[in-house]
Amino acid sequence: MSVMIRRKNDSPFAPQPDDGMTVCRCEEVTKGEIRRAVYDGARTFGEVKRRLRTGMGLCQGQTCQRLVLAIISRELGKSVGDLGKVTGRMPVRPVLMEELSRSGVEGMESEGAEHHE
Amino acid sequence: MKRYEVIVIGAGPAGLSAACAAAEAGLETVVFDENARPGGQLFKQIHKFFGSREHQARVRGVRIGENLLKRADELGVKTVLGATVLGVYEQKEVAVRTEGEVRSYRGDAIVIATGASENMLTFDGWTLPGVIGAGAAQTLMNMHGVRPGARVLMVGSGNVGLVVSFQLLQAGCEVPIVVDAAPRIGGYGVHASKLARAGVEFRTSHTVVKAIGAGRVEGAVIAEVDGSFAPIPGTEETIDVDTICIAVGLSPMSQLADNAGCEMEYDSAKGGYVPTLNDEGLSSVPGIYCAGDMAGIEEASSAMIQGSIAGAAIARDLGYLTPDEFGERAERWRRSLDGIRSGMFAPGMKGRTDITNTDEGYPLSASLLARGFLDGADDGIFPSMIYSGGMRPIIECTQNIPCDPCQDACPRGCIVVGEDITDLPRLDIGKKCTGCALCVGACSGQAIFLIDDSLGDGYGTVGLPYEFLPLPSPGDPGKALGRDGEVVCDASVVEVRDSKAMDKTPMLVMKVPVSALGRARFFRPAENKNYA
Ligand SMILES: Cc1cc2nc3c(=O)[nH]c(=O)nc-3n(C[C@H](O)[C@H](O)[C@H](O)COP(=O)(O)OP(=O)(O)OC[C@H]3O[C@@H](n4cnc5c(N)ncnc54)[C@H](O)[C@@H]3O)c2cc1C
Repeated sequence: MSVMIRRKNDSPFAPQPDDGMTVCRCEEVTKGEIRRAVYDGARTFGEVKRRLRTGMGLCQGQTCQRLVLAIISRELGKSVGDLGKVTGRMPVRPVLMEELSRSGVEGMESEGAEHHE
Repeated sequence: MKRYEVIVIGAGPAGLSAACAAAEAGLETVVFDENARPGGQLFKQIHKFFGSREHQARVRGVRIGENLLKRADELGVKTVLGATVLGVYEQKEVAVRTEGEVRSYRGDAIVIATGASENMLTFDGWTLPGVIGAGAAQTLMNMHGVRPGARVLMVGSGNVGLVVSFQLLQAGCEVPIVVDAAPRIGGYGVHASKLARAGVEFRTSHTVVKAIGAGRVEGAVIAEVDGSFAPIPGTEETIDVDTICIAVGLSPMSQLADNAGCEMEYDSAKGGYVPTLNDEGLSSVPGIYCAGDMAGIEEASSAMIQGSIAGAAIARDLGYLTPDEFGERAERWRRSLDGIRSGMFAPGMKGRTDITNTDEGYPLSASLLARGFLDGADDGIFPSMIYSGGMRPIIECTQNIPCDPCQDACPRGCIVVGEDITDLPRLDIGKKCTGCALCVGACSGQAIFLIDDSLGDGYGTVGLPYEFLPLPSPGDPGKALGRDGEVVCDASVVEVRDSKAMDKTPMLVMKVPVSALGRARFFRPAENKNYA
């Protein structure tokens, strides 16, 4: 297990010309916002997601997960494989609360716990 | 809670094959798929597949899908459609949403075969309507009969981009340009050649930088890229298209495996996060198997074999097959899998640019890799392309890919692939070609032409595979096009030969001067009869 070291960035946040480009369409998150989150200390897909909701919309990250990972990897100068696992959570597809409440699926309640490496 | 012996998630080629192998051994098997139709990607694949007979080569993907469904049906596999699996829990419990309700089922074993999702590219304007995935284009055309656009820019020259571009042409769309950021065309040369001779231009080391338009795509800007794939300022070019189709790869949809607690790994050669599996497809969780694109992007042929192995392994685990019975089946399947995974484009070869020669030692065509067509320099090199007079097949197949239907197709034994399925086809010039055209229809790459110089008066004929509607009629005038899509000379149709055995790849025979026999490879009707 490796220890993640976070240090406050010494250099100021450097804007890029295409920071305004939408990356996560479902939650309308831009490249600049994701870069900013990484600048502010987010290191994994999960951390960016918890700040910005990237991958939490209708498509559940099907479109943007790869794009967000590529941005984090570029910002940190690490390969995507070294960014830690992206956790696959129930439900893997959006589902109406109404449908869930009608079902009583076991395991739904215990899913909240996060796995930390 | 309802219990099944085997629960399969995904009714694509991998899942259905797993279900068949399990059901065949006597297991009670259910398949859940969120789609309204079973078959996964297969029903969009209207082209003929590669491989050898055991891989159902030269059979169209749709037909392979139909055969698989029929078999699953006969074996009593229960397929539940419109059934989305939301999660997989401990004790091999799966949560399935059907008709507004979520229900749990338990399996003694589970096969996860959820396939892949398409990768997207971000560029200025990529969220405009008219920017679509290649898979979406296929769904529109081949499932719903809807043309995605009038003029399409294809981004990505892997086999998916090439196959979908050809299908767009067949649907009556124009595809002026295929761009790829890599310096080489990624997919099979034969797929690229079908496009090039129909007039599609390839731009390697190019990407799309902008979608132009207010409210929808009205044009695209492409640009050359440097060695690190960054667009080079000043190389921008605006092209007139109304659709931008993205075919830049697939990512395994492996979330359910992670959700089930399977050990995962990141493998860029496999396309992303995939479960760690043994050679039977077993994950780190006992009883949970994985197969197909979700375990690493490959092909339907390999997905089916992986699925079969997983299904049979479950039958063994649960006592329906003896280890020997399983071993026998598995050995056959593995051999078949090794075959389909061999050659220049095998899964492990992705991104390799250091291959300069074929296995036979012939230099790979630089023109084919960069521009999508063989040029004059290649003519003297590949023996199967050397014309020796009379009625002869000319085979423009110059890369080592696992495929051999041409050999089986020729009733006279004129074509020999030999021991290794990736070997280039050779011509046995001692055997007499009767011009039956079966090889032309059998070649999935549409790379076989029948040349005859004996028409008289300085004329000869070129027979070529022609998969476009409406089919021209004898006597129709037009132009003969070269491998590069440029006009070679005037031509007229002599006949269009079709038969059941050719399975919708008719041979169009055109009359051209003998001097053009070496160059004329496509026919463009004078009057472009419009597609209804
Ligand atoms: C343009 C193109 C051309 C191709 N040409 C060839 C070719 O010539 N030869 C060849 O061998 N291969 C070809 N392929 C590749 C081939 O189609 C795929 O490799 C193959 O379909 C993968 O099979 P699969 O069963 O793993 O996945 P899929 O076919 O994708 O099937 C997965 C199934 O799982 C279902 N599913 C996913 N998630 C869930 C869930 N949570 N709950 C319920 N159901 C779910 C989906 O609805 C789908 O039906 C081509 C692909 C493309 C795009």
